[in-house]
Amino acid sequence: MGVTRTLRNHVRRGLDTQLRLAVTGLSQAGKTAFITSLAAQLQHPDAALEWLGAAREQRLLGARRLPQPDLGIPRFPLDEALEALQSDPPRWPEPTRGLSEMRLAIRYRRGQGLQRYWAEDATLYLDVFDYPGEWLLDLPLLTLSYAEWSHQALQQARELRAGLSREWLQAAQRLDPDAEADENRLAEVAALYTRYLHAAKAAGFALIQPGRFILPGDLEGAPVLQFFPAPWSSEQLAAPVRSGSFRAALEKRYRHYRRSVIKPFYRDHFSRFDRQIVLVDCLSALNAGPQAVEDTRQALQAIMENFRYGRRDLLHRLFRSRIDRVVLAATKADHVTPEQHPRLLSLLRDLLAEPQQLLRYHALSLHSLCLAAVSATRAVSVDDGGKPHPALQGESLRGESLLIYPGDVPERIPEPAVWQQHQFAFSAFRPPRLPRQAPLPHMRMDQVLEILIGDHLR
Amino acid sequence: MTDARDTAPPLRPARRFDDGGRREEDPLTLQAHREFVPGQQLAPEPQDAEADALLAPGFERRPRRRWLAGLLLATLLLGGLQFGAWLLDAWRGDSLLGVAWSALALAAIGLGGGALLRELWRLRQLRGHMLLRDRAGDHWGSEAIGEGLALCQQLRKDSGIAEQDPRWQAFLAGDAAHHSDAERLQRYARHLLTPRDQQARAEVSRAASETAVMVAVSPLAWVDMLLLAWRTLRMLERIAGLYGLRLGYASRLQLFRSLLLNMALTGAAELASDAGADLLALGVAGRLSTRLAQGLGAGLITARLGFRAMALCRPLPFGEGERPRLSTLRQALLADLQRLAGKDRESNRPQEQYRENQPR
Repeated sequence: MGVTRTLRNHVRRGLDTQLRLAVTGLSQAGKTAFITSLAAQLQHPDAALEWLGAAREQRLLGARRLPQPDLGIPRFPLDEALEALQSDPPRWPEPTRGLSEMRLAIRYRRGQGLQRYWAEDATLYLDVFDYPGEWLLDLPLLTLSYAEWSHQALQQARELRAGLSREWLQAAQRLDPDAEADENRLAEVAALYTRYLHAAKAAGFALIQPGRFILPGDLEGAPVLQFFPAPWSSEQLAAPVRSGSFRAALEKRYRHYRRSVIKPFYRDHFSRFDRQIVLVDCLSALNAGPQAVEDTRQALQAIMENFRYGRRDLLHRLFRSRIDRVVLAATKADHVTPEQHPRLLSLLRDLLAEPQQLLRYHALSLHSLCLAAVSATRAVSVDDGGKPHPALQGESLRGESLLIYPGDVPERIPEPAVWQQHQFAFSAFRPPRLPRQAPLPHMRMDQVLEILIGDHLR
Repeated sequence: MTDARDTAPPLRPARRFDDGGRREEDPLTLQAHREFVPGQQLAPEPQDAEADALLAPGFERRPRRRWLAGLLLATLLLGGLQFGAWLLDAWRGDSLLGVAWSALALAAIGLGGGALLRELWRLRQLRGHMLLRDRAGDHWGSEAIGEGLALCQQLRKDSGIAEQDPRWQAFLAGDAAHHSDAERLQRYARHLLTPRDQQARAEVSRAASETAVMVAVSPLAWVDMLLLAWRTLRMLERIAGLYGLRLGYASRLQLFRSLLLNMALTGAAELASDAGADLLALGVAGRLSTRLAQGLGAGLITARLGFRAMALCRPLPFGEGERPRLSTLRQALLADLQRLAGKDRESNRPQEQYRENQPR
């Protein structure tokens, strides 16, 4: 009796599967809300998860959070996030910074396959990793020399973000490249550079390099984050480097950053992910203006570059990524009226047009959709002079009740002419008030789940 | 592409409504430009339409032979009048036999006319069903939010499902404003068609195994043919009935014709991919007995026709993984026939033993 049970347990453990799901997106894209909702939906499988095959066939038994296997990674603050959503008044969960992990054990009954005869119930261990999309923006640095990167970064700073970068540029240009390096002076200018990056981020720019400067994780204040692109002319850069000079120190730190910050992330984490979802907040980018949209496009392109198998040998060796499914999702779909969803989706596809073709070429399974992890509004129709007009009902972040039409979503990246005569003003809503233990209302979370883990719940 | 950008409708700005439903005055009202809006509804490309017509033959509106219908109707009408007049004459002339004959003829004409009208009505119904199916097919992959719900409502009526049907109510209960046309149709298929699919699949597999067994045991080739025709027609009718189609004589013929055409046009690729497995199964059966192989062949043909008929009668295309597969059925058929062969051998065995025991 005992022997049979032990044998059975061993067999079952051998048949259980493990899946590593990575969630990323530029900050404010809704990663925390997404992961919170994902865990909440799986924990209440009888909620409306119609598109998830296992839930529809009532084979999904439930999910439980387990201690994660990687002890070196911070825990994803699930309880705090749920608490925030259920507090009165409800708040959006605090955004996470840096990498965090959550392990869910999902129990289900097998629906098909030979394994059903061995063990009827099975467990899927789902490790969800949350990491800032900004970190993926560092990938191109691996292929750029310090001089090349400086050239590129300076161009960005001077053209689109001139107003934000002035202070740093002035301070940096006063440095003499060949003078003896002064630690404190370097730290000061690097702080100005970091402030400029933060300001750019706040103004809606997404393409921010190096990514760790604004989301340092555990590296806050370390000298490896104290460098900046060389502000000197190309003649000055062509001269040989004097050891111990400012320029030598900057180059050294740049190389160190590449070696000890960028590469380990790819080696230890990125190369081990199985599935990936990239969250994009198109609406905030539209609110912020044309530069922000263009910048988001470039940033997404840089991010998607990561999922393409190594173009050069160096990259190829670094991550032979196992990712076989990528989902691109436009988040906060509840912030526009339902009839705008197709347009939102088409805008997302326009933003990702080039990388999408590449991924298709590399035979990755790629899906795009628009979703709301936690639906904060209700779609209604108001009487607009005899004709029905779509509108949204919800509460603003400050708690006043709103009944608005948020505006049209452009089908493509807007032309300059559109920006001149049109101001996008998509409002923010706060989470819905829910009775305790009620399932979180969502849009298409079940479809995302079916795409991301559905094939492992058969 | 550039044209579409030039003529794209202006983006509507954000608006705020007060709770009474009246909107606040908005300085950026661009409503006057709404005349450009219909740019989205472009006519389908002619190539596609031609290809569709090729793939679904028999249901497009053909030029009607009005004069023929008129002639037929006039004949019926005049005949009816004539017989009425005769009846009156016979009545007046006290010729009872004549009255009886005329009444009989009148009744015959009435019944014939009724049957004709019913046939026409059913044909019309079939065409309506197929047109609706085409329309649903157009919206099958559409991400827009348009007439999805109305289409589902129409599909429900077409299939003869009541408003109070629990499955329909479940479909409505799960419907959300953000569902696109494609999502709505998929949900409709999942809630209302999947149970029918199962029934239809069971029907096909029953017909296939019955045909296989009958053909395997029948002694004559022409009996085989009759059996095959009889079982197939019956199966076709049942499948059509499951998807809400009631067939008359003419509509059955038309459905059958388009089914065969459809198999010839689109079934070739499928046939090629399955042929290897079929041949293998036939080879196995052939080892056992030639008659079993014949039975299996007939069963496979019936099943293939049945699945094709399901695809043709189902108001929506099959989704991923929903298409019925021949492979499982093939094994079941072979197992059925082997069981039959086993019984056959068992019943033969005592005689063999008897023969062996006979002294030479």
